[in-house]
Amino acid sequence: MKLTRENLESIAAQPLVDPPEWIRVQLDTGGIAAGAEDAFSALANLRNERHLGFTMLRAGSIGYSFADPVVEVQTAGMPRVHYGCVTPDVAGSIIVQHIIGKTLIDDHVIAARTRSLEISAPVTHILVRDTGPGSASKTEFFQFSINEELKRRGLSNRVQVARALDIGIYNRGVVVQLLPSAVTYANVLAPDVARIVAESVENSRVLDDLLWKTPDKQVRIALRHCGDVDPCRLDDYLRRVGGYQALRRALFDLTPEQVIAEMKASALRGRGGAGFPTWMKWQLTRAQPAAQRYVICNGDEGDPGAFMDRSVLESDPHAVLEGMLIAAYAMGSSKGYFYIRAEYPKAVERIDRAILEAREQGLLGENILGSGFSFEAKIRLGAGAFVCGEETALIASIEGKRGSPSPRPPYPSVRGLWGMPTAINNVETLACVPAILSRGGAWFAGYGTATSKGTKVFAVTGKVRNAQLVEVPMGTTLREIIFDICGGVMDDKEIKAVQTGGPSGGVIPVQHLDTPVSYETLQQLGSIMGSGGMLVMDKTDSMVEVAKFYLKFCVDESCGKCAPCRIGGYQLLQILDKISRGRGGPDDILLIRRICLAMQRASLCGLGQTAANPVLSTLRYFGEEYKAFIDGGAAYARKVSRVPAAGTAAASAPPPVPAATAASPASGGTVS
Amino acid sequence: MKSAAPESLPKTGQRHVELGRQDEPSLLNLLQDLEQQHGFVPRDVSDEISRVVEIKLERIRRIQSKLESTTRRDVLQHVDRWRNEEGNLIMILHAIQNQYGYVPREVAMELSRELGVKLARIYEVITFYHYFRLQPPGAHNITVCNGTACYLKGSTDLLNETRTQLGIAEGQTTTDRQFHFEVVRCIGCCGMAPAMVVDGKTCGHVKATDIAGYISTIKAQKGATKK
Repeated sequence: MKLTRENLESIAAQPLVDPPEWIRVQLDTGGIAAGAEDAFSALANLRNERHLGFTMLRAGSIGYSFADPVVEVQTAGMPRVHYGCVTPDVAGSIIVQHIIGKTLIDDHVIAARTRSLEISAPVTHILVRDTGPGSASKTEFFQFSINEELKRRGLSNRVQVARALDIGIYNRGVVVQLLPSAVTYANVLAPDVARIVAESVENSRVLDDLLWKTPDKQVRIALRHCGDVDPCRLDDYLRRVGGYQALRRALFDLTPEQVIAEMKASALRGRGGAGFPTWMKWQLTRAQPAAQRYVICNGDEGDPGAFMDRSVLESDPHAVLEGMLIAAYAMGSSKGYFYIRAEYPKAVERIDRAILEAREQGLLGENILGSGFSFEAKIRLGAGAFVCGEETALIASIEGKRGSPSPRPPYPSVRGLWGMPTAINNVETLACVPAILSRGGAWFAGYGTATSKGTKVFAVTGKVRNAQLVEVPMGTTLREIIFDICGGVMDDKEIKAVQTGGPSGGVIPVQHLDTPVSYETLQQLGSIMGSGGMLVMDKTDSMVEVAKFYLKFCVDESCGKCAPCRIGGYQLLQILDKISRGRGGPDDILLIRRICLAMQRASLCGLGQTAANPVLSTLRYFGEEYKAFIDGGAAYARKVSRVPAAGTAAASAPPPVPAATAASPASGGTVS
Repeated sequence: MKSAAPESLPKTGQRHVELGRQDEPSLLNLLQDLEQQHGFVPRDVSDEISRVVEIKLERIRRIQSKLESTTRRDVLQHVDRWRNEEGNLIMILHAIQNQYGYVPREVAMELSRELGVKLARIYEVITFYHYFRLQPPGAHNITVCNGTACYLKGSTDLLNETRTQLGIAEGQTTTDRQFHFEVVRCIGCCGMAPAMVVDGKTCGHVKATDIAGYISTIKAQKGATKK
């Protein structure tokens, strides 16, 4: 059946009503790797065995990678909760304890991030977690004492106390959350327990001195449906979240110029890293006279450590497709390609299905929704070449050739795929487009800083406590992202630096953690926004080794077309290797700088131009470490390399670098 | 002349079967013996031998052409799927690798004939992209992720341990073709770093000491299926 404009309007008028009881399993690559499918089948089997009436739903990932697999449960008389680390055993408890027994399961609840300031309904459940140092040792004691207090007041039948796996607040002592209204108290001490029970639980009064008033720092725009919508069902996208309404608005209420004007008002900039204004890209492509224009969605997420594009493609494929359709309408294009890494089979499968379903329902193909606009989308697979994230190389790859970049100009917006004007947009950029169209550009521009508007998704990984996807407004500081949202460094170690932008980015040392994140500020610090990978490093990580790691990546990935990248990168790696073995000389630093400069100035494409960034930025902020390697010689290098990079045995080993290092920001300059 | 046929030559009737079972060196030996005995090779013997050789050759030819036609059919099937698409080479190569696990040379040659693209062009693309393989994979694949998150959390130890356990470097296959060891950049499971993929199953938070266990489990399974 082909949808029409009227169909879509009537769908918008009748939102989906979920059945009263359901369990939603988050099935994305990360979740499946952690055993989400086992959890799903365990839940489904138990449901059939016990003849229970709840519905099993599927979704993508909400982004809590640290707690995969994640399952969301809604049942009558219970608050809606997320459970993390759901092994088949825990799945059994969900059925027995949660669904049948109506009690929360200890140590698996992930508390909701939206918190309330007033108690709107009588308290039925209390979540407790000790967020202080010492791996939540006080949680059990507080669970016990709250329970005792409830018993004393005769409330223990009405209220249950459960230990949470994660409560979304960190380093604030014991945190207590009262469900269902999600009023949250932080820094709770033992004497406060009686007050909480007497005032809040019994009389629904909020204790202002304990109340956690800071609202959640995350704003989910690109990730708005991730974890809610079923990525494999168009129907779910249409009815649950009002999908394709933005497309309807664009096609019937706006001219292409108005769509571009709306994008201009939103000031959305490309989320792939370079930050070129999206509206301008569309405008330039549109202005170019041509028989055919192309839209390409760049899903070649090559940065190791970044997985937000994969997550969006897997969790909300229709949003990306809708964004592409709107882009195509604005540019007058009738053909588009999704270029996705072959290493992401799940993402490919779901986009493929999304395209198929959209075509069946008349959202792709000829005369979409009866508007006269026609568009066809296809998938092209990447084949493991990092350089193909660069737009000219990506175009060559879609054309079936080896992914060698070509000099710009001409830019792809003038001469791109098969010589035609082409606009290449990142997955995240396209996922934002429907939200901007349906809520207005001004709304989107309301977030962020003066030059960088809106929100950005970061994949925070490395030595961080809660590795996860984070979406924050631009201008949020790195410290807020790492400490307030992700819980700080693993094992309560000291943070040393944050690496952003993958192999093309740089490291940001601890003294710059309070920098608000935007395209410009990160560039000033010698790094880049990049696609949004954010690697946290602690004191045990050697910066010379990290620089070597990234450089090795770029050298391996260099296509070899231009000499500065091919030869410069190799030589640079040789020098770094020499230094890290303790055989470096004092002249090496100067030589490194000269090679880096040559690579930046003379390389053909972004890969070569930015390959030196990790080296330069580590040199800038951690020049001391290079110096220590050169001065200390082989003996020092052996001492450092004996410290395993792993967190497994590293705990007892001494940190390889003097603690004074991080406190000398300009030391890189003094070395040379 | 016929009565002078050597004793070593079996009687007619049995003869075909007996000769048919001979392999090349023993046929040669037989010819040599006969020549030494008689100074020449009796006509019926030489006829018989040439007949047997012909049968063997025919059999080889048949197998070969069957192989060729399978290759041809597969290639045609993939090419037909992508025939009218522009820039289809990479997608066809993906389809071929999905089927064979690598891109065999004869398939690449067939593809070159079918598409009218020079073989060098095809190899240019195959060798450029890391994803395409020219060697058949091992029966079991062990992939260690060396993305940045995994690197920071100790994938170097995992790489070293796997190298020691299997006795091969990354990108190589053990001599018995049982294990193939690969390093990848990122499998997107940074939340459970360090990660590795053992026969398609992703294992998170791996310790170097776990690897010997994974390998011996595979070996044990293999032993069980053999029995």
